[in-house]
Amino acid sequence: MKLNGIFWLMILGTALVIVMLFSLSVGAVRISPQRIIALFFQGPGSSEYSIIFDIRLPRIILGFAIGGALSLAGVILQGLFRNPLVEPYTLGISGGAALGVSLNIVLGLAAVSRLSLPLSGFLGAAAVIGFLYLANFRRGMVNLQGLLLNGVMISFIASSLVMLLLSLTSTESLQGIIFWIMGSLGETDGTLIKAMLAVSLAVLALSYMFCLHLNAFALGEEEALHLGIPVERTKQMLFLMTGILVGFCVSVAGVIGFIGLVVPHFMRKVVGHDHRILLMASFLAGAIFLIFCDTIARTIIAPLELPVGVITGIAGGSVFVYAFARERGQTHA
Amino acid sequence: MNIKHSILLILALSFFFPAALAQTKPVERIISLGPVITEDLFLLSSGDKLVGCTTFCQRPEAAKHKEKVGSVQEINLEKVVSLKPDVVLATELTDPRAKEKLRALGIRVVDIPNAKNFNDICSVFLKLGQLVGQEPLARAIIAQTKKKVDELKGKLKNAEKTKVFVQVGSDPLVTVGGDTFANDFIELAGGVNIVTQKGYLQYSREQVLASDPDVMIISSMGFDGQKEVQNWEEFKTLRAITRHRIFIIDQYLLCAPTPVSFAETLKTVIQDLHPEIRP
Repeated sequence: MKLNGIFWLMILGTALVIVMLFSLSVGAVRISPQRIIALFFQGPGSSEYSIIFDIRLPRIILGFAIGGALSLAGVILQGLFRNPLVEPYTLGISGGAALGVSLNIVLGLAAVSRLSLPLSGFLGAAAVIGFLYLANFRRGMVNLQGLLLNGVMISFIASSLVMLLLSLTSTESLQGIIFWIMGSLGETDGTLIKAMLAVSLAVLALSYMFCLHLNAFALGEEEALHLGIPVERTKQMLFLMTGILVGFCVSVAGVIGFIGLVVPHFMRKVVGHDHRILLMASFLAGAIFLIFCDTIARTIIAPLELPVGVITGIAGGSVFVYAFARERGQTHA
Repeated sequence: MNIKHSILLILALSFFFPAALAQTKPVERIISLGPVITEDLFLLSSGDKLVGCTTFCQRPEAAKHKEKVGSVQEINLEKVVSLKPDVVLATELTDPRAKEKLRALGIRVVDIPNAKNFNDICSVFLKLGQLVGQEPLARAIIAQTKKKVDELKGKLKNAEKTKVFVQVGSDPLVTVGGDTFANDFIELAGGVNIVTQKGYLQYSREQVLASDPDVMIISSMGFDGQKEVQNWEEFKTLRAITRHRIFIIDQYLLCAPTPVSFAETLKTVIQDLHPEIRP
């Protein structure tokens, strides 16, 4: 089982490299792979170099960080809640971020400084995390179902408030908000991309401190407690980790759906339920999936771009339905 | 001594000259990120300098055949970079992240403000004229347009004010109030908008019936204007219907004008509002 898992991680790692190279070599402007290698040694100066290393590469790195982070958050939350329908956006964190960004656009702060957008997104997300934490974790014992319900309600309230803002604002703000909500990897600020990458990798490393706890959680909270797991503290830590991770993701890239829901499911089918393998596998698979979808989104109707969420939804959903259908067919046969 | 001086001079020149050159060099390769900018550039007979524009740039006909670099909001950065522009003309709708990236890559990006009234249109046009080295032409076109607009205004001096309703969207019914081009047209054409609020608004059909405008203008923006006329014809009591004063105007003219099309559209609106006057 263990060997099998490591084998899968190696396959995923190879696939990630292949997808990254593929993504680097296709785009609205045709540049052959041989030329890219030549450019790599030649160094900066040409417009082709700029296209490959200043435009495509940062976007691939961002796709790696966001795709991995969303998928990781999904697998942790599903393990924590023992509920397969929980995803990174269920807890209302993205709703808080969307509300923060919408308010920012409506109040015209984005015109003052562009980086105020991700900042206000993060403040919105942090406000929701803070509220959920205070409302649910204060008394030492956490009712996970209550936390989930609270989160879903916050999602609804936030999306209604965003609609309210949408219906009251001018056309220009409207477009800004809708584009942000659709989600994209268009962020170009180098510092922001590096910060996102650092947060993703840090949470991935931290999550490994809890991989055995998550395995124990699969048996139920009480059983985990009997196995000597500090259940309440684990819940607290995992909630904060995923909250911050998702907060970062949505403030940088908006709401990119589906990855956090489907990739963990898929990986559980492929590598099994052991979180020691599953956490890493989900991170890698999420990164592969998002980089791949973004490559399609930016090339399929080039020079125009599709919102990447459209591709993740269609591609992810259909592959998932197909895989389930095939599996059921096999068990019947 | 002399040699030393000349070396110093050459060094100084090679240091300062490229910068000076970049300042004075006329712009040869332009990318426009707004339909109005594109149309203005063609009016300024600089269409040949345009190396790229958006898929929204459909006027004039020649703009359709220019290289497309994206939509008005989202542009394809690699496409822009590969076209090696001297200048990229951005609008308020252009993704600020894209503008920032282009500037970081050393491409000159000029923000062209969104025109909100006739004076804005002229100043934007003049700015573009200066940029492409066609300032005299820009001034001539503006002067000609202003003259035409003044003439039209003069004819309207004694005309009665007409109550107008402008529809720019159906299901839900959307209208325009103050601070919009459509409103400027109505006021310049001797009309009064029944809508007193500002901007684009969702509006109630009941309120339209209650205000009973003399003239209705439908600017079909992604909906069937003819069908909307039929809808309104159900309301036989509406003054605009009984007098057959309901018109359809190309949304492009009403919302995104150049100096030339501004004068043309104004003429059309005056004809709709005051058929008794021959503009």
